[in-house]
Amino acid sequence: MTIFFANLLEIIQQGSEIAGMIDLPAKHWPRPGQYLPCQRLHSDADILPVNLFRVLGDPDLLTVGPVPRGWQPGDQLACAPSQGHGFDLPSFARRVGLVPYQVSPMRLLALVSTALEQSAEVAMFYDFDLHDDLLDRMPSQVEVLPLAALLDNLDWPDYLAIDLEAATLDQFSDQFSPQDNQLDGEVLVQTAMPCRGLGECGVCVIKSRHSWRLACVDGPVFPIREVLHVAG
Amino acid sequence: MWLDEEKNLFKQDLVLDPPVLNSSGILGFVPDLHGMPYLSGLGAFITNPISHRPRKPAANRACIRYAGGFLLHSGHPNPGITRSIARYQRRWAVAPMPIIIHLLAESPDTLAWMVRKIEGLENILAIELGLPPGCESAALLAFMEAAQGELPVIPCVNPEQAVTLLSTLSDLKPSAVHLVEPRGALPGPDGEIVQGRLYGPGIFPIMLGAARCLIQAGLSVIASAGIFDRWQIDTLLNTGVMAVGLGSALWQVDQETLFLHH
Repeated sequence: MTIFFANLLEIIQQGSEIAGMIDLPAKHWPRPGQYLPCQRLHSDADILPVNLFRVLGDPDLLTVGPVPRGWQPGDQLACAPSQGHGFDLPSFARRVGLVPYQVSPMRLLALVSTALEQSAEVAMFYDFDLHDDLLDRMPSQVEVLPLAALLDNLDWPDYLAIDLEAATLDQFSDQFSPQDNQLDGEVLVQTAMPCRGLGECGVCVIKSRHSWRLACVDGPVFPIREVLHVAG
Repeated sequence: MWLDEEKNLFKQDLVLDPPVLNSSGILGFVPDLHGMPYLSGLGAFITNPISHRPRKPAANRACIRYAGGFLLHSGHPNPGITRSIARYQRRWAVAPMPIIIHLLAESPDTLAWMVRKIEGLENILAIELGLPPGCESAALLAFMEAAQGELPVIPCVNPEQAVTLLSTLSDLKPSAVHLVEPRGALPGPDGEIVQGRLYGPGIFPIMLGAARCLIQAGLSVIASAGIFDRWQIDTLLNTGVMAVGLGSALWQVDQETLFLHH
């Protein structure tokens, strides 16, 4: 398996999370929603790789998060190739909704530049106050609204990107009627992926409409219709 | 010396060269040479645990980190023996190293049935038995009896079982005993206590101690011991284990610099 070596150049606070800038060549960057397994070299503390995601950042430098609190600028990293299925924003999408559900918006904001490039309107449905350091970096074209605004206008987005923890999938599903089948988009399901597909260890399995799926291999981004309103 | 006809003979030749394996649950059900180039350094490949019937993942599955390691609980999801054989037997047959099938011992009857299904397959070196937590001597005897056949049988014991089952194992003298990671418990994200297996370098001293205990009882030991560095392999081999099992070190991004080439 190919391994890339990189340096952690800078760390920045993004709301409650820490993001990091890494000097990895652009051809190895993960797409939004994909994960980049990384590990600090010469560190006895890092027993498992850390799976990092693209976050809002400088377009010329890879910005990823959440970076563990012990990592420092200058740390050398070993990175495996980007893994998993990321978001696939359709080129026809002109109204893009982002729903960071009880999680930091940092991962979904990585989609904003692509959405704006295709002249889409972007609305983020988020029930918490945004930290200043996120607001400062967020493009002004992104409208921030409460989640209730989406629930009242489910036919507005023609693509919805959701980010949530696996444990809140059912709770999130309950906000929508199973008949709300006009929802089109994808869900980034956050869950531990310790073996990153090597071991099929089963910790990250998600119940989908048709079968159990490994988030590390089949996800972590799944079509909305595959994972919402699926008991289990 | 006359063989005791009343006593079953469990000792069958088992050669592991090089004396390095993966632990069950670490590298999946089949060796993937493309994704795992370090497989050429393994003397055999141990599959993920396989049960009689398909198993769903545990509802409270979790990976919980702590200083020195992590606790993993998944419930051993697997497609069951029949589907596993249908899916994997061709890839087991052409694998560049022999395969050890890890079977979850649930009852002697189902175990015997699973063993019979495996015995005709190609390139299978041995059967490994995942014993249930709290397995006692009588159950171990019954499982070993049920698994007896053409292939060597390797019971897996954790450090706690290495003590409680030592005299039974000494009597049975299996081809090898696989000393596997201990079980433990930690609070999960919602505060509920999760039980699972412990991985990481923090378990090494306990595993080395348990390995010595088994070796002193005259047993051939494979030790999965939270190995993260070459010196740990050397220490175990010098202590007298017949092979070492690699666990979550194989999930590291860079085994070359962090582990294997030292």
